[in-house]
Amino acid sequence: MPVTLATDTVKITRERKFGYVVPALLLIVFFFIVPVTMLLLRSVLEPVPGMQNYAALLGSTTYLRVFLNTFLVAGVVTIVSIFVGYPVAWLLAIMPEKWSRIVLAIIILSMWTNLLARTYAWMVLLQRTGVINKTLMALGLIDKPLALVNNLVGVTIGMTYIMLPFVILPLMGVIRSIDPAILRAAALCGAGKLQCFLRVLLPLSLPGIVAGALMVFVMSLGYFVTPALLGGTSNMMLAELVAQFVQSLVNWGMGGAAALVLLVVTLTLYAIQLRYFNPARGK
Amino acid sequence: MTEPFLSIRGIRKSYGPVTAVKNVSMDIAEGEFMTFLGPSGSGKSTTLYVLAGFQDPSGGDILLKGRSLLSTPSHKRNIGMVFQRYTLFPHLTVGENVAFPLRIRRRPQAEIAERVKAALKLVRLEGFEDRMPALMSGGQQQRVALARALVYNPPVLLMDEPLSALDKKLREEIQFEIRRIHRETGVTILYVTHDQEEALRLSDRIAVFSQGEVDQIGTGPELYANPATRFVAGFIGDSNFLDATVVASDAGKAKLSLGDGSVVEGVPLHGTSTASGKASLMLRPERLSLSRAAVPSGIAVTVRDITFLGNNVEVSTATPAGVDLAVRLPFGHEAISNLARGEDAWLTFDTASAHAFA
Repeated sequence: MPVTLATDTVKITRERKFGYVVPALLLIVFFFIVPVTMLLLRSVLEPVPGMQNYAALLGSTTYLRVFLNTFLVAGVVTIVSIFVGYPVAWLLAIMPEKWSRIVLAIIILSMWTNLLARTYAWMVLLQRTGVINKTLMALGLIDKPLALVNNLVGVTIGMTYIMLPFVILPLMGVIRSIDPAILRAAALCGAGKLQCFLRVLLPLSLPGIVAGALMVFVMSLGYFVTPALLGGTSNMMLAELVAQFVQSLVNWGMGGAAALVLLVVTLTLYAIQLRYFNPARGK
Repeated sequence: MTEPFLSIRGIRKSYGPVTAVKNVSMDIAEGEFMTFLGPSGSGKSTTLYVLAGFQDPSGGDILLKGRSLLSTPSHKRNIGMVFQRYTLFPHLTVGENVAFPLRIRRRPQAEIAERVKAALKLVRLEGFEDRMPALMSGGQQQRVALARALVYNPPVLLMDEPLSALDKKLREEIQFEIRRIHRETGVTILYVTHDQEEALRLSDRIAVFSQGEVDQIGTGPELYANPATRFVAGFIGDSNFLDATVVASDAGKAKLSLGDGSVVEGVPLHGTSTASGKASLMLRPERLSLSRAAVPSGIAVTVRDITFLGNNVEVSTATPAGVDLAVRLPFGHEAISNLARGEDAWLTFDTASAHAFA
């Protein structure tokens, strides 16, 4: 019967397609799932089986302080990135193609530049005798150099700079996909520029804002290099704490617990985004 | 003389060296349905965009009830508009879309609810308040857009080819709805289209645009019976053109010599004839008569093809010089029974129904 034949063909193609996925699946299993599971196991098995690592981590004010720092910095970086990135994305979306290409190239080029080099560059700019402090003092705006580095201010500035492209790129895509005729329609309906922005452009670009914000927030939570270089020893962030447990204290149990807390938070945020802002579901 | 309701005065618009609109002037009466008809690039949409305030004209003025609109930004003009593309706000429900202009105007909640309901009733979409626009058909979306554009009772409604994205059947259905809504609301409508049939079906008057200028403004029958230019003659209805020479002219009637030596008299002449006297003679296919017996004053042609079009039959013919002339005759007409390709025939016409363009 031809019908059976047809279903068979479908089944065969399905199976063949599945075959192609096996290498990728193996990669994911061996390099992601196995290590994370081992870390999870070490966090509940070392030094003795039990939840004592998590209790220590969540029960101590020192560690809670680290969590607080982490969420604070990630939150501030996210908000500042959105506020700075939105106008840039908007401009990129509406400027003539030949200009937007150049600006985009500059942004992407900065992403490709070595992370350490960029972070050290900020150290030079932000330090007590750096360009920023010198300029401000020369202008007479401040008497003493501002403490811009070795604290959370430095971390926030450095990380915002690094995270900006991750906000700008998705936002630009979303804003570009909004039909200008919709904004014209809003204008004729009586909406001034501010009303057009608040009632039409902003809600329509919300999926881009959420996607960008989530990306930045999650990346910021686990960021290591910039906090390590621009932050002070007294204001540690979570990734630094994990590194310290593993490298200096060789305490894999505590390190694993801290890493897993981070993972759980990240996955929760991702789930929230999928649930409420999934563009594939078309709202 | 009373003040015209809406007056477009000498509007020009150029983009650098390109002139999109050369010099457009017209007066539109309150409650009139005026259509801008023309091919793409003829300046009809640009003129509409100037009215909407999306583009500033390079010159000229627009007066609504005697007051210039040009210094008023789009959002304060209080004009309604339906666009070619679907422009409903995709994040708002149908009800919220229609309520949008009223919310911007900060109308009381009860009034908004009432007027949204009335507007949706007007476009026959009662009960669709909670639908999302993405879940509606193109025709329904344009009807919601119409409701949104009318809900604040604008004095003027602009429509920029609102039906061009719809298929033919739906288009005719909504054309009918637009006529009904125009009758019921009495709103002044400026409608842009490149479809002559749509223009004839909807409008009180039609302004025919060509190359940035208005060639002629008139009712459909006026444009058809008495086209002012060759372009209008070619754009409204079907037409044949023959090269001719003006031999003499008097009081708007011309005596023309056709290429084959025949002469016709009393043809309405449009435009001033040049020294060479070159002109085009326009003949409507349905105003031509075909004779299989030689007619001395007729145009000698050869039958090329015969096409059955339902109630009409179109006979394609060609003159010895190779000019194609189409003749449309009612189905069953005696002149075409057993007519075959390649046969010789003679075409005659009533000179008063022909037009010459110098």
